[in-house]
Amino acid sequence: MTELLKNHPFLFLDGGMGTMLQAEGLLLGGVPELWNLERPETITAVHRAYAEAGSHVVYANTFGCNRLKMARTGHTVGELIPAAIRNARASGAEYVALDIGPIGQMLEPTGILKFEEAYDIYREEIEAGKDADLIVFETMSDLLEVRAGVLAAKEHGNGKPIFVTMSFEENGRTFTGCSVAAMGLTLEGLGVDAIGVNCSLGPEELVPIVEELCKWTTLPVIVKPNAGLPDPVTNTYNFTPERFGECMKRFVEMGAVIFGGCCGTTPAHIRAMTETVSAMQPVERHPEIPSAVCTANKVVPITEPRIIGERINPTGKKRFKQALIEHDIDYILGQAIQQIDAGADILDVNVGLPEIDETEMMILAVKAIQGITDTPLQLDTTDPQALEAGLRIYNGKPIVNSVNGEEESLNTVLPLVKKYGAAVVGLTLDKNGIPKTEEGRFAIAERILDRALALGIRREDVFIDCLTLTASAEQEGVMQTLHALHRVRYELGLHTVLGVSNISFGLPNRELVNRNFLTMALYAGLSLPIINPNIDSMTAAVRTYKLLANIDRNAVDFIAHYGAETAPAPKAAQGSSMTLEAAISAGLKSEAGSLTKEMLGTSDAMTIVNDQLIPALDKAGAQFEQGKIFLPQLISAASAAQSAFEVIKEHLSATSSESVDRGTIVLATVKGDIHDIGKNIVKILLENYGYRVIDLGKDVPYEDVADATEKYHAPLVGLSALMTTTLPSMEGTIKLLRERCPWCQTVVGGAVLTPDYAEHIGADFYAKDAKETVDIAKQVFGN
Amino acid sequence: MIRLTEVDLPQAYRYMGMHTEPDERMQQLAVICEKRLLSLVSPRYIHLVCPIRQTEGGVLCEGTTLLLTGQDIAAHLEGCDRAVILCATLSAGAEAAIRQAGASDVLAGMMTDAMASALTEQLCDAAEQEILAGLPETHPTWRFSPGYGDLPLTVQGDLLRTVNAEKRLGVTLSESGMLIPSKTVTAVIGLSSQPVQKGKRGCAVCNMNKSCPYRAKGVHCA
Repeated sequence: MTELLKNHPFLFLDGGMGTMLQAEGLLLGGVPELWNLERPETITAVHRAYAEAGSHVVYANTFGCNRLKMARTGHTVGELIPAAIRNARASGAEYVALDIGPIGQMLEPTGILKFEEAYDIYREEIEAGKDADLIVFETMSDLLEVRAGVLAAKEHGNGKPIFVTMSFEENGRTFTGCSVAAMGLTLEGLGVDAIGVNCSLGPEELVPIVEELCKWTTLPVIVKPNAGLPDPVTNTYNFTPERFGECMKRFVEMGAVIFGGCCGTTPAHIRAMTETVSAMQPVERHPEIPSAVCTANKVVPITEPRIIGERINPTGKKRFKQALIEHDIDYILGQAIQQIDAGADILDVNVGLPEIDETEMMILAVKAIQGITDTPLQLDTTDPQALEAGLRIYNGKPIVNSVNGEEESLNTVLPLVKKYGAAVVGLTLDKNGIPKTEEGRFAIAERILDRALALGIRREDVFIDCLTLTASAEQEGVMQTLHALHRVRYELGLHTVLGVSNISFGLPNRELVNRNFLTMALYAGLSLPIINPNIDSMTAAVRTYKLLANIDRNAVDFIAHYGAETAPAPKAAQGSSMTLEAAISAGLKSEAGSLTKEMLGTSDAMTIVNDQLIPALDKAGAQFEQGKIFLPQLISAASAAQSAFEVIKEHLSATSSESVDRGTIVLATVKGDIHDIGKNIVKILLENYGYRVIDLGKDVPYEDVADATEKYHAPLVGLSALMTTTLPSMEGTIKLLRERCPWCQTVVGGAVLTPDYAEHIGADFYAKDAKETVDIAKQVFGN
Repeated sequence: MIRLTEVDLPQAYRYMGMHTEPDERMQQLAVICEKRLLSLVSPRYIHLVCPIRQTEGGVLCEGTTLLLTGQDIAAHLEGCDRAVILCATLSAGAEAAIRQAGASDVLAGMMTDAMASALTEQLCDAAEQEILAGLPETHPTWRFSPGYGDLPLTVQGDLLRTVNAEKRLGVTLSESGMLIPSKTVTAVIGLSSQPVQKGKRGCAVCNMNKSCPYRAKGVHCA
């Protein structure tokens, strides 16, 4: 419990600042932080009024005081924050908080602000606010932004208490979709001192949200509501001080202990609140928080067996290794989506390969996967640096895979698990290897648990892997694993993890062995099977177990998955008379893939590309130009061709070093622009024609385009921009390319672009659509 | 708050550049995209009604820092004594839906994007209706947004701060002048006690009217 609460059973914060300043003449849209310099007496008077109304803590007038928001004021963070804290101090309040709000720019992937930059913006505020007594983050919406701020506060805040309040809507989520439970799990893990809610709603609407939060955290809970809801015509809030104070009783009864007011509240509201609350006794809470992992938008409680998908891992997979070497993130994302669709609850992410920089790839992979899915991740690496990099940017509470019983591992991995508030998998092995007996493995499990507890890691966050041995080589070891697992689950009370498919290595009918071992392990107490969820029988074994073990009540989930099944789905196009060209024209993805597979039995890969794929695309392209089909149908054909291409790539990487390569093209949506759908359409079409596309994504700095063009010595660079305001970025990129990569040509496109403008900014080509970009590529590469 | 239960599909198809009836597979994909989009967005709006005054520098929204510059907005608000400052967004959930759809299927990504654009228009229409229902006996102009005519996009920052869009709606403005979440609209609706002459809407004040692909085909974007 924080020092502040030792002195006060209930801690009282202040009320609205903006509301008070508007009453003093601040215009709507004005910058309240400037008044720290222009009207310091007014600011101090507001703080004093709150201190006199009973606030123990006043928030310095620094809510928006970051370098981005203050840029247009002509004043620096280093001037404004110390002045604000001085003004707050002068009020005589017991404690002064450095008040930090959202940066005002959205983080990737919705916006363009990078996590690392957000961290640095907060670091600057925290250092400028060194004279405050505590650090509060309020009105937060994006959990990732909160994580950046809290890490900055932990690392640069000299041990000051950290409070965080986020703003939730009636649906129990913030504007960015963060749930109350995810906030509780993640921030308690990060080791902040108190958490809660502020702004957005009045006290009545906040009741269910605070109730939920109390279930998900053992930390002191903060409640700082608005004075009801605002009126758009009068711009006032509708709760009287008395009604506001009265509403606080409910929160005291739930166990909240820190109270304040947000928009629309005045010293009168705070006085009513302190009087009502002080007359009550704090209510002790003892929430039982289950084992759980999460992303900002999704919590997965480990209250029943949960599937961890194992496919994001290069071990034994040539195509995956190739994707890592080529930084082909789309391939990895494809693996993620396929597993989630098949039923994975959590995804294991292993991107280690000797040929690549694992730390860089871990960051890239975690950001990309979190951009398209809210499924929690298990970060799987033996490299502590890559692990920390992944933990730092992960949005939520992940699993770390893994620590083991060796001293070095315990000393390196567990502190990272503690610092970033993750859960961890403990492998029952140490410097002597894997113990043969259940006793040996159980002993290591106990050791790992003790060490984790000693560091303050919750028992519920330690998962143990008793290690599957191969039945063909160590048949007598199979039951030892299951016995150890059973004891860990029921004697230590810890959740268990097991990589299942290793059991069948070297045996025939591996799927049969895997499935039966999985069922045995589930019965023995396996909580988190690591499997390939794309194999139906494995996922089905878990679903069936949940049905039989009375976890899936009334077989709801089981029937949802298997109730409609009448006969096995027909294998697409097997032996049918459909040609690859017809499948592509019709946009039939799975047919195009399976036909290509068949054809590879009799034809050479390049022959299929040149004689089938490309003519089919040419035909679709011609029809598009003639207005016989429209862009959606062209994309549909391109997507079907893409699945044919994927089969060919898989084949080539397994059988030869040959690859399809008609030339390299760098693509980017220019700096400042985040509209990348057009660029993605161009990409898929170019790839289908056999060009190697280096896709730099969106909001790409000039230098990155030049760097990539240099690195790959690309003869052609494609740039897109959708906004008139980002066209100058396109011009800037072309200018830099002219200087640094004089050999390359540029093609530009995007909704607001015209041929004239393209010429004006020095582009070599203007493409009105994706089809025209392909024609230009053919011209540039002469193929 | 506004509930949107379906996407204006014909509009979405037009945004995608489809000028024929979608085939069955396209319709099936649309069902999936629409369901995901509707489950992820949280359509919301905020607004402020404030007195306005025509000044030499532009139309001033009194009690705020917002000054609307240019001849087109001045003409648009001619005869109005108040204005509604509106900001409406589908939220970052729209982006999430577009990214999720596009990750496995470019066409689904494009379709979801077009649907989100259509849904944003639906949101604005519903918001406008709801706002005006609360202001009886006033005569509104149509919605005029930054970037129309000579009302510069650079006014977005002041407009968002005036309605406190970041805190109340989660809407931000990037340094390059983009609204984020991207499926967001800001607009000004003039209010008058007398019936107003509604200016010409659409192509005439649109900056794209020289290069518009819809006009080239003889149709309209909205």
